[in-house]
Formats: sequence, C-alpha cells, structure tokens
Amino acid sequence: MIKREAEIVNKTGLHARPASDFVLAAKKFESKITICKEGGEPVNAKSMMRLLAECIGQGMKVEIAAEGVDEAEAVETLVALVESGFGE
Amino acid sequence: MNAERKVLSGNPVSAGIAYAKAYVYYPQELRVTKSYFPEGEEEKNLKVFHDAFACASKELDGLYESLRREDESKAKIFAAHKEILEDEEILDEIQMAIEEERMNPEFAIEKVFHEFADLLSKVADPLIAGRAADLYDVKNRLIRICQGKEERNLAWLSEDVIVIAHDLFPSDTATMDRTHVKGIVTEIGGANSHSAILARSFRIPAVLGVADAMTEIPDGSLLIMDALSGELVVYPSEEEIQVNEKRKQEFLKKKKEEEQYLDKPAVMKDGTQISIGINVGSAEYDVPEKQYDFVGLFRTEFLYMGNNCLPSEEEQFQAYKKVVERAKGHPVTLRTLDIGGDKTLPYMELPKEENPFLGKRALRLCLSEDALFRTQLRAVLRASVYGPLKVMFPMVGSMEDIYRAKECVERAKESLRAEGIAFDEDIKIGIMIEIPSIALIADLAADEVDFASVGSNDLTQYVSAADRMNPGVTSYYQNYSPAMFRLLGHIFEAFESRGKEVSVCGEMAGNPQAAVALAGLGAKKLSMSAANIAGVKAALAGVSLEEARNIAEHCRQIKTESEIKEFLGI
Repeated sequence: MIKREAEIVNKTGLHARPASDFVLAAKKFESKITICKEGGEPVNAKSMMRLLAECIGQGMKVEIAAEGVDEAEAVETLVALVESGFGE
Repeated sequence: MNAERKVLSGNPVSAGIAYAKAYVYYPQELRVTKSYFPEGEEEKNLKVFHDAFACASKELDGLYESLRREDESKAKIFAAHKEILEDEEILDEIQMAIEEERMNPEFAIEKVFHEFADLLSKVADPLIAGRAADLYDVKNRLIRICQGKEERNLAWLSEDVIVIAHDLFPSDTATMDRTHVKGIVTEIGGANSHSAILARSFRIPAVLGVADAMTEIPDGSLLIMDALSGELVVYPSEEEIQVNEKRKQEFLKKKKEEEQYLDKPAVMKDGTQISIGINVGSAEYDVPEKQYDFVGLFRTEFLYMGNNCLPSEEEQFQAYKKVVERAKGHPVTLRTLDIGGDKTLPYMELPKEENPFLGKRALRLCLSEDALFRTQLRAVLRASVYGPLKVMFPMVGSMEDIYRAKECVERAKESLRAEGIAFDEDIKIGIMIEIPSIALIADLAADEVDFASVGSNDLTQYVSAADRMNPGVTSYYQNYSPAMFRLLGHIFEAFESRGKEVSVCGEMAGNPQAAVALAGLGAKKLSMSAANIAGVKAALAGVSLEEARNIAEHCRQIKTESEIKEFLGI
C-alpha cells in the first residue's frame, strides 16, 4: 500500500466540480483508493457521496492511500490533481 | 366540496402574484415493505436491481438531453443524479444487502439511500446537506422502476395551475411545465430549499411552509396567491380577484422598472448615497458584487444548526474566511451565535424556559459558555486577516454586556498572540440594537463600540411586548409604530453625533417605503436580503434627502401605526 499526504489548495475544496473530477480520476485506477482528512476515517475515494460527506475544505490536509496493481500511479496522479488546485 | 373562503399563509420565497386553479400534487405512492427473499434467489433479485439501474440510467440520460437544449443549468441536476446513481459505494452496499442479507431490492435501495442521505444532511455546508434531496429523488426513481410504475411529474399540464405539494423534488421542479405553473405552494421548506431556489430562477411565485396546505386547499379550487406577503386566499370574492389582478399588473410593471437600479449604487435625487448591505445566512451566498456595498449581517447559526456537534474552530474559520473572500473587499459584519429563543441546537441541552425570548439567548448564552464563545471568537479573529471583517454581538442589553463581550474578544486575541497566530488587531466591534434598554442609552453605547446595527424585528418585538411568532398578537407587533420611529431617530442621532456607523438590518430596511423613511431619520446604511435590493434602490432614487427627512419627521408626529403605514404606502 502507498500513502501520501496532500493539502487542499483550491478555494472550493473537495466539493462540487473538484469533487467530481477527483472521483472520476480515482475511478480510472484498479486499486482500492481511500482519502482521509486529518482526524477523520479513510473513505472510498471513488464514492462521490462519501467524499462530499467528509466536507473537505481549503487548507485541510488529506492522506491519499491506494492498494493494488496501479497503486503508485494512482497516488501520484491524485496527489498531483489535488495540489494542482483543480484549475481554480 | 366546501366552497368557503379561506385564508392561509406561509413564507413568500419567490416574489409574485398569481390567480389560478389549485393542483394538489400527490407524489407517487412508493411504499416499500421491509422484506427478504428466500435463499437461492440472489441472482434473480440482483437482476431486478441491475435492470432498474439500467432503466434509471436511461431515463436520466433522456431527461438530461431533452433539458439541455433548453437550459444547461437545469439539465445539470440530472447529470448530478446520474453521478449519484453510479456512486460506487452506494451500488456496492445495495448489492451487498441483496446478496448477503437477502433484502428485497426495493428494501435494499430504500435502506442504503436513506443512510447516505442521512450522512449528507448532517454536513454543515447547506449546499452539501441540500443534496440529500437529490439522493431521495434518485432513490424514488429506482423504487418506482422496480415497482413497474410510470413516471409522474409536472411536465405536462393542460391548464394554468398553482401547484400545491407537500414538498417538491428537484426532478419535479426541473421538468415542470413552466408555461402552466403560475405558482408553487408547499407544506415544508424555507428560503434556501431546492424548491425556493428553483422557483426564483424560474421566476415563479412561491409560498412555502404553508401548514396542511394539501388538506386545506381542495384540488381544483380557485386560489389567489400573494407571494409578496405570503398570503393565500382559497375561493376569493369577485372583488378580491379584481384587486389581486390589479396588484399583479402593478407588481410586474414595478419589477421591470426596479431592475434597472440593481447594479447601480443607491443614490437619492440630490446625490446622497445610501450604503446597501445584504443579509446572508451561509458561506455560499450568491449575490453579484455590484449589487451591494457591504455584508451587513452574516448569520453564523447555520454552522451550528446544520451540524451534529459544535463546529470546530477550524471549520468555522474556513467558513468565515470563505465569506470574507467572497465579499471581494466589501466589509463583512459577522454576528456571533444567536441561539436560544426559537432556535435550539439538537446536540446542546439548553434549559427549558418559560419565556425563551426573554431568556438566556444569544450573547447571554455565549457569556455563560466560555469554550463555545472563545472558539467562535478565535475563528472570527483568524479570518479577519483575509479582508475587512467586523464582529457584532446580538442581544446586548446593557453596558455590562458590552464590557464583558469586549473582554472575551480581548482574551481570544491574547490566546492567538501567545500562539503567534495572525489576526486583525484593530478588528471593529459592534452591537445589535434590539433590546430597548440599550436603544435608550445608544449615546453611552456609541462611546464604547465601533458601530451598531439595529435589528428592527426583535427591537419591535421587545418595544411592543408582542411575540412576533404568535399569530394572536400580530396586530400588536407594530414594526411601524410611532414609538419605533422615535426610538430609531434617537439611535441614529446618538451614533451619528459620535461619528460611529449605524445600520439597520431588519425587515424594515428591505421595505422600499420604510427604507426612505429610515434614510430620512438619518440612516446611511441599510442591510437587507438580496431580493429587496432593486426595490429599495428604486425607491431611494425617487426622493431627495430633504424629502425623505420630511417624510420621517411626519412619521414621528403621526399617532398610530395604521396612519403611518397609510402615509408611507406600506
């Protein structure tokens, strides 16, 4: 399993379109992927509803973890997406 | 059928006037029984679910396509529904419930969607919490398909109607036949509900929160709907119908005229400018920055009420920062927690009081809950580095209240300083004026604070000793009493003479005629809900300060509220 931390830099946080983009990106990988906010429990990164319920806002730190055949690439891609600020 | 005239009322959330037949809209009966299937039928039941899933997916694609040509933003609702339908966790859990617990597909769908909707409705962000309605909508679609029923909606109506419903689902409103729906009445829902937002964007008059509307208003009965006052008249008289029609034409004409003022500053005939503020109740407010000069009242209750525990400092900080940034340089006045009275928190035990409006409410509660108040004040202070943020205390009744509240701010500042956390050292501190005992010593208060905002709704309640929620004393609750005008004049003068800012943020400020009188009394800042901006700006543009002063002076001399209202044309 691979884990990495990332900070949410975009204004909207993981809501609305950024949340959609994140889930879509996660779904492209076969690995089991979770996202966990500080002090929270890891949730399925491929579930939009779980992600929204976490209410992850700007400035928060999250840990993205993946386990499976493409785990390294998955974590790298998703961390890069989060840190890119979703083009905001 | 009982053809007796009847009057009902609710919250007008989308302005307008209508007269049409009532169409009582019963949602489809989708009763789901808690049932299980025998062992060995897993495959068959999974197939039922998968077929329903495929069918729902096709329906949503169809709705999206047909609406997209008309209005992309409405079509998006169905794209969002598809996203929900395809949610991996929801799918997995439903399949697991069928495969492992042998739940009937309908029951499995009901249960899993309920759990997720519950989860979302507890999120503090009202936009996310509001998505619970979409989850129920998708759930109903799946269950209806499982039950082999046709879709029922408001898409094809044969005549003009006012829709009467318990609540409307997003899919009901999005596909609604807009040429024939002249009004919307629901039993539940507030100004920020799905139905309200859509009604406003469609410009359909709407009155929500009308208790027992579905049983009180007979299907097919003729109905007058005044979505300015929130009043509904079932089986009105011929005369009422005529008056209503006239009011409707006037409303439409005025609306058109007013809209040209919306994006311009509020300038009176002689060039005097009045600052226009907005009252907002969430971090997600959406008002174009040209329309207003400041956020006069940022209510923070949403963070506390839409949550299942007290919001953390970080959570509050993020929300406050968001509002300050959204205001794009316009000053923001944040009101600290105003709970108690009619507002309670599900997770915080507040003592039951005989007279909650005269009880431990708002600042009184905060002063006795150190940790709660400190958390909020620290969050406010931290957000103050991101733009002009002011803090204001509700329910201030005495100088002691002011001293104590300021001490709390001082202590919060010290704790931040000690931790080396940045904040605006000169953050402006103000009070709500809503208790007569502080209004009467406005001069003393003005020496001690940077600004004040008059909460005219509560001030009226306390001045007139009439509960504004109690329908039995509505005639005693007098917003426009001569006493109010005199008191307001005194408050403005006290602050003005000390060079301190004072604004009005109650409903009076949003009433165009009252706004003119307030300007005449000396108010330079008025804060209102965004829907009232155009009307107020238009009314102010129609008079000079001198004329407004004369109007105000006259109001001070008139003897009764009804005469004042008649004089002002309210």
